[in-house]
Amino acid sequence: MTLEGQLNRRHLLQQFGGGVGMLSAASLLATNGNLAAAEAMSAAGTHFPPKAKRVIHLFMNGGPFGADLFDPKPALLKYEGQKPTGADLLTERPTGGLLASPFRFRMHGESGLPVSELLPHLSQHVDDMCILNSLHADNPNHGPALLQMNNGTITPTRPSMGAWFLYGLGTENENLPGYIVLCPGRPVRFSILWNSAFLPSAYQGTYINHSKIDPEKMVPHLRNTLWDATTQRRQLDLLQQLNVNHRELRPDDSALDARIAAMETAYKMQFQGSEAFDLALETKSTREAYGSGNFANGCLLARRLVERGVRFVQVYYGDGQPWDTHSNHNETVKKMCKEIDQPIAALLGDLKQRGLLEDTLVVWGGEFGRTPTSENGNGRDHNHHGFTMWLAGGGVKGGMAYGETDEFGFKAATNKVHVHDLHATILHLLGLDHERLTFRHAGRDFRLTDVYGNVVRDILA
Amino acid sequence: MNRYLLVLLISILSCATISVAEEPSPSDEEIQYFERKIRPILAHHCYSCHSSDAKVLRGGLRLDTAASVQKGGDSGPTLVAGQPDESLLIHSIQYDNDIQMPPKGRLPDEEIKELTEWVKRGAPFPKSLVEPDQKARQINFDEGRRFWSFQPLNQHPLPEVKDSQWPKSRIDAFLLSSMEREGLVPALPTDRVGLIRRLSFDLLGLPPIPEDVLAFVKDDSPNAYEKLVERLMASPQYGEKWARMWLDLARYTDRTESWLLQDGLAHLYRDWVVTAFNDDMPYDEFVRRQLAVDLMPGSNPQDLTALGFVGLSPTYWKELQLPCEIIKLIVADEWEERVDAVTSTFLGLTVACARCHDHKFDPISAADYHALAGVFASSRQVGRPLVSEEQYQPVREAKAEVAKLEVELTQLKAEMAKREKEKEKELQAAKQQKTAGETTAVPVDTATKGTATKGTATNVNALTPEEKLEQLTTKIKELKAIPMFDAPLTNALSEESLTIERAGANPQDGTRLVYRPGPQDLPLFSRGDPNRPGKIVRRRFLTVLTPEPQPYENGSGRLELAHSITSDAAPLAARVIVNRIWLTHFGQGLVSTPSNFGAQGSRPSHPELLDDLTARFIANGWSIKWLHREILLSATWQQSTRRSDHAKSIDPGNRWLSLMNRRRHDFEAWRDTMLSASGVLDLATGGPSRDLDELGNHRRTLYCTVHRRELSTTFQIHDFPDPNQHSPQRFSTITALQGLYALNGPLLVEQSQAFVSRLQREYPNDEAAQINRAYWLLFSRSPTATEQKLGLEYLSDAVGEERANRWKQYTHVLLASNEILFLD
Repeated sequence: MTLEGQLNRRHLLQQFGGGVGMLSAASLLATNGNLAAAEAMSAAGTHFPPKAKRVIHLFMNGGPFGADLFDPKPALLKYEGQKPTGADLLTERPTGGLLASPFRFRMHGESGLPVSELLPHLSQHVDDMCILNSLHADNPNHGPALLQMNNGTITPTRPSMGAWFLYGLGTENENLPGYIVLCPGRPVRFSILWNSAFLPSAYQGTYINHSKIDPEKMVPHLRNTLWDATTQRRQLDLLQQLNVNHRELRPDDSALDARIAAMETAYKMQFQGSEAFDLALETKSTREAYGSGNFANGCLLARRLVERGVRFVQVYYGDGQPWDTHSNHNETVKKMCKEIDQPIAALLGDLKQRGLLEDTLVVWGGEFGRTPTSENGNGRDHNHHGFTMWLAGGGVKGGMAYGETDEFGFKAATNKVHVHDLHATILHLLGLDHERLTFRHAGRDFRLTDVYGNVVRDILA
Repeated sequence: MNRYLLVLLISILSCATISVAEEPSPSDEEIQYFERKIRPILAHHCYSCHSSDAKVLRGGLRLDTAASVQKGGDSGPTLVAGQPDESLLIHSIQYDNDIQMPPKGRLPDEEIKELTEWVKRGAPFPKSLVEPDQKARQINFDEGRRFWSFQPLNQHPLPEVKDSQWPKSRIDAFLLSSMEREGLVPALPTDRVGLIRRLSFDLLGLPPIPEDVLAFVKDDSPNAYEKLVERLMASPQYGEKWARMWLDLARYTDRTESWLLQDGLAHLYRDWVVTAFNDDMPYDEFVRRQLAVDLMPGSNPQDLTALGFVGLSPTYWKELQLPCEIIKLIVADEWEERVDAVTSTFLGLTVACARCHDHKFDPISAADYHALAGVFASSRQVGRPLVSEEQYQPVREAKAEVAKLEVELTQLKAEMAKREKEKEKELQAAKQQKTAGETTAVPVDTATKGTATKGTATNVNALTPEEKLEQLTTKIKELKAIPMFDAPLTNALSEESLTIERAGANPQDGTRLVYRPGPQDLPLFSRGDPNRPGKIVRRRFLTVLTPEPQPYENGSGRLELAHSITSDAAPLAARVIVNRIWLTHFGQGLVSTPSNFGAQGSRPSHPELLDDLTARFIANGWSIKWLHREILLSATWQQSTRRSDHAKSIDPGNRWLSLMNRRRHDFEAWRDTMLSASGVLDLATGGPSRDLDELGNHRRTLYCTVHRRELSTTFQIHDFPDPNQHSPQRFSTITALQGLYALNGPLLVEQSQAFVSRLQREYPNDEAAQINRAYWLLFSRSPTATEQKLGLEYLSDAVGEERANRWKQYTHVLLASNEILFLD
């Protein structure tokens, strides 16, 4: 490419950002002036052929306990109330003796993986799921752990993984933002969890509170309350006419073109965007399959959005940190599982039936897990030493359990997967090399995985 | 010496000199044993991270040569030959201490046994031909000082130019010379209207009012333009526009997370910055005051507002129930943030890169980093009054007392509520028993009375809870009534050092933060980890910027640091600010990485010009307004944005500035322009911020609330920088979400209506005149015939209410048009 071409493209991209689509990873890299790196990327925009084109992250904010759901630990019952001598159960804060999970497990699917009775619907999809029982993270507090899970580090000044995805891949739909965060309320730390930090701001997540499912209440300024579509079109035509006249006197300025295009997109988004967010357009049987409630709506919205080319959709379970069960653990978990079981099962089934599961990666988990020992007698404290997440679709093996915690489900013991490893693996599935996806800022190259992370190759399909 | 001591001494000595079968070399038998049994285990489990083949060497440890095994890693000696129990390696593979290796999972028992046996045998390791590089990379500071940005400043002789008519100033001569070298010709000067418009936005962030445009166009006095520059720089709006540039660097925020302490009024710092710009405070003074005004002789309590640069730094949540090792990391991150913000802003250096290791590219050592971090570790962020500390002391005491009493009050209320609930329960139980026909009376009242009596018996002075409540409430009220109890505090600093200590005997007992008066020197954190302290580093300035760095002796060292920046590092500090001002005026810097003047930053496009301008900036008393004048009066800045085909083909990026850059307005200028055009702009200066999205808030955007964690969506959509960190410059994007805001956002809806009202008020019943006026207010010009026609046509076929609607739609279009967003 000629120097002129490079500079023009860089200029165009600086003006455009990623929000208007049609930008490949190579061109996105050029926004940073990192032209050599941009050239090194393939035209498809990835380092190697991607297995997943989009990601849905079901975020159990607060932190669920693996041994309730996917990682049965009979030893908890055996030593109930005790701290067996020699067992490594040194929790960050003082906790009591071991507290058994009262929930029964059964083997499911052809793979025969154990799933708790709390998830009767989801257990039917176990052959599509890759259950990671050996996650671990660095910090036992919600804020830092949420930051690590989302932004790769506990330092609150780094881009979120979704921003990295868009930086690497661009967006597939110019009429919608490429990264959407759904939460019926506000998770702890809020927008920093989906920020773009030093990456161009167009890569930040678009936060949508979907507790009211009217699309107009979800997307900021989506609807014009004053004029009908014809009037708006007429108004936009005048605007564009003035803009075109303005541009004629100022040739060769791609920024002016970009703004004209963005106004057109915005206009269209009012109609297509509201369609993407409108659950009323789903059939009754689909609505019933997902069930009702905020989380069910979030799952269904996620499917509608990825179907329309949104790269990354996060669905937070709820406001604050609902899975943070320091007391009344069992009852709360029972109730929450009831709310997630049917929707997630429906989502996996729906994606599969539409042929989307093969290139859509579904990620489930919290920012950390919980202690096998008790807090307040009937609660569980935070535990970042070992916890469970699962992946499905998008190029991971189904019907597989990977890694183990110790016999009490406290610390990851074998085939440990650090959050950095999870990030490296997700990027790998998206066709991106976590060591090569870098952005130069403040004098050095930054990565989602900092200087860590290994792709968990054993789980790749 | 008793025997016990002797054993101890021997074990210490053997730790100090780890022997890995140093001399003589291992026997053939030992080598064979090692290669057969041990090397395969190491190679299989360890070498991916601990050998010369490792992509990233972990923990500074290599296990592939005798010397590197002997040397150990960051955590210390790897092993003590012959003593597995003393060997970190063995503990690590047994997973019985903090370090657990390999991280993927414990080795099989046989392999652990094998390695233990190897250490027991004396850890024989064959000598290899290739030994690791024993010497760590040493920074050569003398070499480093030769880098361009650390050089002394010189005024340069003016270069020869062919077109001697064009230059109006020294700036122009340098620029023209490089244009001529590149075969470029300067663009024509912009017209008078374009000039006043550009000037008005550049200095005030507002469009010129039509009357001023006309007056300027008509003013044919030779110094009309100079007068205009002076007049605009004297306007209070000037400081508002330029303060924003500074506040981006300073990661200014009005509000922070609800769970973090914020006892000061942030806007006092913002207003101080505005005033400093308006008063043309010399830049060196501006720097020193922000870092250390509290330590400067002759300063008074009102001056403390300048300390907001560091005083408003982001703080991170510290859960004190956690072990202090975790809290230490969080605090170390805070210090790093201060070092980063201060060195990036004032020096254009990325010193924070040197926290974990010597800087990879610049001559900045990890010791340099820790020498600066110590300054911030010796300064506490604290709200301070605008009166003397002595005057305020009673308030501090009262506040401490109130805090204590409020805890008591909360406890008391909780107890009372609990007692009330119990009483209720007992009553209920009694009732139920009664209904069930039980005759045993539950002596509820007696029981309560009984307790009370008992209490009285043991303590005659005891108060009833109600009395106690009353007493506490009154006391708090009295304390709060003392003079100045609610006096404003500013986000300042005090000379206190933070240490992080274990709250009890065990890690699980949590953490205590202790502030002590006086400074502290930090130990060098190995790999940036405060839990691995090394040698103490005295607080001092960066080695590369001083001939011989002297330890700071005056308190925290902030004032000495400030002086180091403005004297020792004056050439660099001045280059950095000159470049920032240049960048704001031209939309591009002479150095295109405004906060990185190091090796990884870009080199100046016009090195002699930057040198010359900076040297003269210092000679002119570090005056920012002088610098504006130099730039604004240059022919370079006054060029038109019209690009010739020639320029386009030779210099597509306009590196050589042979035309003016067309610039996209930031959100502030766009919003302020709308408010100004519609006639509702409130030009009041200073004071607390107001919500950006609050309808009826017509203050300049500078005064709209910046919330560190909950940044307004409107700001977020429009590329407002993240107030959590230093932001070197604005990056602008053009997105559909911005488009939605322009189409449907409440601000434009409100402002288009206000604009219509103004036009109708000023030119009733004359639509052509209204359109004309609209163009003048927004674009400083009359509409063209086509534009006039387009406007009238849009309005023409409607009557009554529909026509009023058309007017709203029409003005809305003008407010959202490209011409209002881009400055020629």
